Amino acid sequence: MTLQNLRGRVAFIFDEINFDVDQIVGVKNIKITDIEELSAAAMTSYDPDFHASVKPGDVLVGNHNFGYGHPHYPPMRAMRHLGIKGVIAESFSPGYWRGEISMGFPQASCPGILELVNRWDEVEVDWDKNEVRNLTTGKSLPIEPLSFADREMLDAGGLTEYLKRPVPAS
Amino acid sequence: MGYTITEKILARVSGRVAVKAGDEVMAKPDYVIAYDFPGYTDVYFRQMKEDFGIERVAEPDRYAIFIDHMVPATSPKEEELHIGTRTWCAENNVALYERKGIGHQVASEVGYAVPGAFVVHFDGHISQLGTFGTLAMGIRRNLLEAFVRERISIKVPQTVRVNLTGTLRKGVMARDVFHHLVRVMGPASCRFQVLEIGGPALSQISTEGLQTITGLAMFTGAVTAIVNPDKERLDYALARAKKQLEPVYSDPEASYSAVYEIDLDNLEPLVVIPPTPANSRNLSEFLGLEIHAGYLGSCASGRLDDLRIAAKILEGRQVKSGFQLNVVPTSQEIMAAAGREGLISTLAEAGAFISSPSCDYCFGRIATMTEKQRAVSTGTLNVRGRMGSPDSEIYLCNAATVAASAIEGALADPRKYL
Repeated sequence: MTLQNLRGRVAFIFDEINFDVDQIVGVKNIKITDIEELSAAAMTSYDPDFHASVKPGDVLVGNHNFGYGHPHYPPMRAMRHLGIKGVIAESFSPGYWRGEISMGFPQASCPGILELVNRWDEVEVDWDKNEVRNLTTGKSLPIEPLSFADREMLDAGGLTEYLKRPVPAS
Repeated sequence: MGYTITEKILARVSGRVAVKAGDEVMAKPDYVIAYDFPGYTDVYFRQMKEDFGIERVAEPDRYAIFIDHMVPATSPKEEELHIGTRTWCAENNVALYERKGIGHQVASEVGYAVPGAFVVHFDGHISQLGTFGTLAMGIRRNLLEAFVRERISIKVPQTVRVNLTGTLRKGVMARDVFHHLVRVMGPASCRFQVLEIGGPALSQISTEGLQTITGLAMFTGAVTAIVNPDKERLDYALARAKKQLEPVYSDPEASYSAVYEIDLDNLEPLVVIPPTPANSRNLSEFLGLEIHAGYLGSCASGRLDDLRIAAKILEGRQVKSGFQLNVVPTSQEIMAAAGREGLISTLAEAGAFISSPSCDYCFGRIATMTEKQRAVSTGTLNVRGRMGSPDSEIYLCNAATVAASAIEGALADPRKYL
C-alpha cells in the first residue's frame, strides 16, 4: 500500500472539545452546493484572513471527539477545496470519522496533538511509522493505526474506488 | 474467557467460531435497511448499475427500504425521489414500507429486529433495534458497500457496559435516563464502541423506553447500543421476526472496556440545552424559561408511553394560546393504538396539532422557528438550525415536560400535573 504521508502547515487549531464541524461554514450555509460559494463562507467566523493564508497541503488540528453532533459533508468539502489535505485530532467522533474516510479525506487520531503543535508549524503524518512529526520543533507523537479497511479506503481515494478493488479475504 | 453479545453476533455473520474486539472481519449483514433520501439511496441505486454493473441485488429479502422522510411530499421533485425508490424496489423485489411511520420504529414492528441479527443502515438511530438484542449500526455512506458486496468490512468494537440500578420516580422517563448517561459518562465515553445496557433496573424500563435509550446511543459516541433481551423484549420481537435465529447473550465473564453503575433513584427530569446533545442539565435549573413551540415525536420519542403521559397532563387543560404544540406519533401502528385508547382525542381537545407519522418535524424539513424562538422537543437533536433559524433554540426533554411546557408557555416541571 502506498498511502502518501501528509505534509503541510497547521492552518488552524479547533480547540473546542466535541467540535461540531458544521460551524466551519455555519448552519445557515450548510445547504449551499456551489463549491465556490460554500468555500467563501467557510472559516469566516474563525479567521477572516484564512482564505488568504491557507495553501494546498495544509492540515487542520482538532481537540477531543472532533466531529460530534450531526456532521454534514459540506464543511470539509469546502476545506478540501481550499487545499486542506487532512485533519489531526486528539480523538474523533465515529460518525464524522466514517463519513470523511469514505470521502478519501485522511484523518489521524493523535492523543497529545494540541501540545505538540502551534498554528503554522510544519507537520508530517507518517502512516507507516504511525506517528505525527512536528518538523518545526523536531518533536513527534504516535498516532492510532488505521484499520485495514480505513487505510485501503484512503489509499483508493474514497469509498467507491475502494469498493472497485477485489474483496478482501474474510 | 467470555464473549459479549456483540462479539457473538459478529462471529456468526463473519463465519467464524469466535471473534474478539479489535478483530477486522468481513461480515454479512442479515438485513440492510435504508430510507430514501437524496444523496444516499438515489446514489446507491445509480452507482450499483453505473459503477459496479449490478442490475439487481442478489438476495432481496435481506434489503428493506422505508419512505418516511418527505412524507407527505410537498413538491414534484420530492415525489420524483419517492417514485425512483418505488421503481427500484419493484425491480429488485425489495420490501418497501411507505407511510407506515418512522422506519427505525417500523423496522421493529415488521420484524427486522431479530434477536441475534446484524443490521446496517446509513442512519445511526437504527441502533434502537438493540432493544431486542439486534446489533444494528449506522455506517453512513459506507452502506453502499452492503449494496454492492455480500459482506462489509468491520472492526469488531469493544463494549462499554452500563448497569442500571434503582427505581425511576414519577415524571422521570427513559429519555431522562439516556441524557443522564451522557451527563455522567460523557459524550465521548463510548466512542467507536458498543453501549451494552443491563442491570437490575432494566426490567422496569418499558420496551418503548429502551427503544428511546438505544436509539440515541450515538450521542455517547457509541456505534450502537444493545441489550441482552429478556422475555418481554423477546415476546415482542420473536412474534414478528422475519427469521428465527438463536438469541445470544453476553457471557458473565465477557470483557468490557469500562463498566458504569448508574443509579436511577434520585434522577430528576432533565433538559438538554442548546446547541449540543452533550449539554444535559436538571430541568429545575431552567424552569420558567419562555417557550414558543413544542414537538412530541421522532424515532426517539413519540410512542405510546410518551403519548399517554402527555395526554394525562393535558387532559382537561389547554395548550397556552399562541404556543404551537405538534404531536407526531412514531408510527401508524402507534397512532392507531393511541386512537383506540382515546389519547388522540384528549390531545386534540387540549389544542395539540396532531400529524400522521413522518420524520419531517425532526430532521429540519418542517423547520419554521424564527430568530429568538425557542422550542421544547423530544426530537433527536438540539443543534443550531435543526428546527429553523440558526438563532432559534431547542431544549430537548421528555414527553411529559413538553406537555407541561405547552400549558404554561414556559419550561415547566411535569410532576405537578401527574
